[in-house]
Amino acid sequence: MKATLVMGTACILAAVLPFVGSEYVLSFTVQLYVFVALAYSWNLIGGYAGYTHFGQVAFFGVGAYTGALMMDAGFHWLVAAAAAGLSGALLALPLGGAMLRVKGPFFAIGMFGMARVCESFALGFDNITQGGTGIYLLPVSDLKPLYFTLAAIALGLVLLTWRLDNSRLGLQLLAIREDETAADALGVRTTRLKIGAFVVSAIAPGAVGSLYATYLSFIDPMTAFAPMTELTTIAMVLLGGMGTVFGPLIGVLAMSVVNELLWSRFPEIYLAIVGVVILFVVLWMPRGIVSFLAHRQWSWVPVARGSLRRLASRPRIAARPKEAH
Amino acid sequence: MSAQEMEMVAPAATREAGRGAGTGILSVQGIGKRFGGLVALNDVSLEVERGSVTGVIGPNGSGKSTLFNIIAGTLRPDRGRVFLNGRDTTRASPAEICRGGVGRTFQISRLFGEMTVLENLVAIAHGASDPEAVERALELLDFLEVAHLRDKWGSELSYGQRKLVEIARALMLRPTVMLLDEPFAGINPRLQNRIVDHLEVLRRRGLTLFFIDHEMRIVLEICHTVHVLAQGEVIASGPADAVRTDPKVKEAYF
Repeated sequence: MKATLVMGTACILAAVLPFVGSEYVLSFTVQLYVFVALAYSWNLIGGYAGYTHFGQVAFFGVGAYTGALMMDAGFHWLVAAAAAGLSGALLALPLGGAMLRVKGPFFAIGMFGMARVCESFALGFDNITQGGTGIYLLPVSDLKPLYFTLAAIALGLVLLTWRLDNSRLGLQLLAIREDETAADALGVRTTRLKIGAFVVSAIAPGAVGSLYATYLSFIDPMTAFAPMTELTTIAMVLLGGMGTVFGPLIGVLAMSVVNELLWSRFPEIYLAIVGVVILFVVLWMPRGIVSFLAHRQWSWVPVARGSLRRLASRPRIAARPKEAH
Repeated sequence: MSAQEMEMVAPAATREAGRGAGTGILSVQGIGKRFGGLVALNDVSLEVERGSVTGVIGPNGSGKSTLFNIIAGTLRPDRGRVFLNGRDTTRASPAEICRGGVGRTFQISRLFGEMTVLENLVAIAHGASDPEAVERALELLDFLEVAHLRDKWGSELSYGQRKLVEIARALMLRPTVMLLDEPFAGINPRLQNRIVDHLEVLRRRGLTLFFIDHEMRIVLEICHTVHVLAQGEVIASGPADAVRTDPKVKEAYF
């Protein structure tokens, strides 16, 4: 209930912001939505299914290029974004089938390699992508539709994750994270589930990549496949809490605000300070802020995955007499 | 026993009885498995009768775990076949075997640590709706007398509690056969007896129990049939009393 209230207020704020906010506030919020979309997508495969990896930016970059090329060919930026989302999924399907056979560091680093492969394609096929020069696009005159599209994607992913978290599917993904061998032996269709989660986790990054290209009206390999985008996303999810509904949101908000505050005051050393902040949070709360609070069971923190507990706490329909033996 | 209790653990059906090879609910035929130059199992055959308690004992390195993993589908044999409920499951995946009516527990606890006990059970209730799954999970936790652990995290439980919750979890899918991998290893005799009591109730309700263990006392006490493995071969099979006095078993085990 409290969570619904907070979310509702946030939605109303987000809806009026582009009409009252300054240029600066708008660009800050657009960045925020991009990272919310990236963080929630990464949370699906890295947080829930436990397949952490450093290659999500591959989908972001491929989406950015797909979208940019389509807009260059004259398509509307919304159509381009949809196609970019599809391109992310189409890339993730064979990639997941091949890469998800390996676990842990092998998968994590292997995906990092995949992102670098995509980046070198963008650099190398310069007759299509203009190589290192990048693709320049016609700037959109009004940013508001773009803003609302990004906000809708971000909100959609939060709601999707909330649904997932309260479902059997979410529990099965968590079971894969906790112990894949045991999950398999207990009848969980692990291969299908993890590839599915991986493909779904690639859609929004693809679409958002294209929208970001629209926002910048420019894309080049350095921007599209920036390792900094990847690392920031992962740091945000880690900070907030992997495999939780509100973790990525809290992580994105906390890090964006801290970044913004420090960047303006200590431009020379702000990255070093951010690093130290992350270090301390990871040391004290290795499972992130939200998991830390959930284990404390403070009453004002929404307990994740509450639906089962509520079901279990209902008065039992047929209470059995206790067996004597 | 009420009808509801019957329903709770009774085998899903005996629909496939009699089909395929072998007479038992679980039939292992001529299984061979090598790891490099090491022969782990050499032509092992055994039958597990429906509704029986069957145990496999043997010294360390006798091939017990290999046999167990082949039956559960986590290892592929080089030779031979496994039939469950009359169906050839030699090449089936662990998930398929599980969905075909086989529940299993693990030698070392494999509860999902960052999930609550209730979630551990409900996560694998394939095919049931959420309220049904929760209802069944609560019944099973009640039955194993661990209902108070419902909202604890898997990682918070003691060793013995994990064993009980794992048995409850394995029962979620109404298995016809339970594969128990050393359920009595490393727990105190009091809890051992408690688990034995629970298993006995389950067997009376029609569940077939198949387990491997070191605990000679319990194996000989509760098993109808005991198979003794040594160096990858079944050296003796039969009722516990007969096996106990078999000279070959004495030589290999005691």
